[in-house]
Amino acid sequence: MVQGLARDFATREILPRAAHLDHTGEFPKDLIQKAADLGLMGMTVPEQYGGAGMDPVSYVIAQEEFARASAGVQAIITVNNSLVCDPIVAFGSESQKRRYLPGLSSGKDLGCYCLTEPSSGSDAMSLRTSARLDGDAWVLNGTKTFVTNGVEATICIVYARSAPDPGAKGISAFIVEKQFPGIRVGKVEKKLGIKCSSTAEIILDSCRAPKENLLGEPGMGGRIALATLDGGRLGIAAQAVGIARAALEDSAAFARERRQFGQTIGEFQAIQWALADMATRIDAARLLMYRAAYLRRQGRPYTKEASMAKLFASEAAMWASHKAVQIHGGYGYIQDYAPERYFRDAKITEIYEGTSEIQRVVISRHVLGAR
Amino acid sequence: MDTIVCLKQVVDPELPQWDFAIDPATKRQVRMGKPLVISTYDENALELALQLKEKTGGKVTALTLGPQGEVKDAVRLALAMGADEAVVIDDPQSPQRLAADKASVLAAAIKRIGRFDLVLTGCESADWVERAMAPFLAEALGAACVTFISRAESRDGALSVRRTSEEGFQTVDVRLPAVLSVTSDEAIRPRLPKVKDIMAAMRKPVANWTRADLGAEDAGGAKGVEVKDVSIPERTTKVEFLEGEPAEQAEALVARLRALKIL
Repeated sequence: MVQGLARDFATREILPRAAHLDHTGEFPKDLIQKAADLGLMGMTVPEQYGGAGMDPVSYVIAQEEFARASAGVQAIITVNNSLVCDPIVAFGSESQKRRYLPGLSSGKDLGCYCLTEPSSGSDAMSLRTSARLDGDAWVLNGTKTFVTNGVEATICIVYARSAPDPGAKGISAFIVEKQFPGIRVGKVEKKLGIKCSSTAEIILDSCRAPKENLLGEPGMGGRIALATLDGGRLGIAAQAVGIARAALEDSAAFARERRQFGQTIGEFQAIQWALADMATRIDAARLLMYRAAYLRRQGRPYTKEASMAKLFASEAAMWASHKAVQIHGGYGYIQDYAPERYFRDAKITEIYEGTSEIQRVVISRHVLGAR
Repeated sequence: MDTIVCLKQVVDPELPQWDFAIDPATKRQVRMGKPLVISTYDENALELALQLKEKTGGKVTALTLGPQGEVKDAVRLALAMGADEAVVIDDPQSPQRLAADKASVLAAAIKRIGRFDLVLTGCESADWVERAMAPFLAEALGAACVTFISRAESRDGALSVRRTSEEGFQTVDVRLPAVLSVTSDEAIRPRLPKVKDIMAAMRKPVANWTRADLGAEDAGGAKGVEVKDVSIPERTTKVEFLEGEPAEQAEALVARLRALKIL
């Protein structure tokens, strides 16, 4: 039934605007508010904090439906859910949960996740943003980059080095409100895809965050970041499965209608095999995603499985959307048809929340027993 | 106002045409493996019932008939949307039955539920389009009946409804209890349930009855009605070229569109 709601919301509200949002890059504020009104912005947040109290399997099922309609809209929703609400639920104090989760769930606030820096991407634990305790406040200095929802977000999860220890040890996590002094939006990026979600620099210039806005304990930031990314990767796996499914559904419909050489192109074995391979890869990706989400629901470790799901699903989405463009021929290359959007949107799933290369590093460490 | 809404689950009518198949043995649409949804106009009926409840108070009961495993989602969705109670009548053979037979079972269930002011149905089901359920129910329940209503307003304990007809609209004052069949209107767009209401609906009780519980004997099909055959209409595409100068072509085009009753 949750899937039904997500599908109805996606079909009724997101899909009719997906092409326009992609062409204009407009942030769909009203759509995000409607999603929040239905309980879709704080899906796994416990009910006592204003969330919907949903389990991780239902969560990925719903995210796939949003991404099937628009990967850009889903990116906005999944960042708020996975990368902002999740760490507050898992590591926040009772007062932090009460202060931030109701607003993030109701649409009053929107969250963003500030980990990446210009010189620390895949090597996230080498980040340089600093945090220094000054009386009753943390003073943060540094520049965060590629922050999804960076422009519209009101609540930021910021990672900074609070101790001289190298690597993950010296990193702490902070809940920073955009209204705190010293935080501002820098350069807003122009992107290949997921255009209706903003991607921006967040500049911390002696930003003062109250002492109690430390998330978890000092030095726990690295652990919080990695645990959050496990959940985030499920959201990106769902995004990739949704894009790939859209590519398949459009291609199957096109192959049934498009006639060349006196028959529909779906009657050519070249097209049939492409569709069969798309369908098979999508199902495999979805099952990997369900497995990881199921393990999470059981409270069991799922780092390797989340990486496998994200890796396989994102590469399946890239492959399937490439096939969709080819099946559509010239129509696949123009903006009146959706496959070119799927093709552009799919690429980011191989990059953010850990590139495919990083996923392989994570998986191989588990395989080799070197974690 | 206490309202009972009859909900039918059908194969999703939004499925692409190529997903539609007929079982030659039963002469019915293949349901196995297809996504089922509440029939479009039945969902409108539910939305209208919920709107009436919000204005006048009372209770909304969702009632459905069908194979229990298939139809329970329909009443769960109704509960999530705001229905107060739900009843499922388990009948594995239901998809093979036609309106008259199903109406007798539903009427027996409505009598067992007890007091009601209104019974709402969709004006037609998305699969068989018989448009017969509301009149059959009204007859069985001895209630007034108005079909194809698009709006309803409670006034001093009575009900005023807007009925859509071929000529336009009729405003009808209805005595209660009544059975109404609901069509579509911009004001009755079915609401999406909130996630927390979906979770709550999973915990609400649903009454499960059988035909035997209701004393509705299985006559093996509707009396006097036999479906001889069903087939999928073939869709053909034809292109006509109109000759002549632009003015002549325009005139010929208008004449052709009039002949096809498009204009």
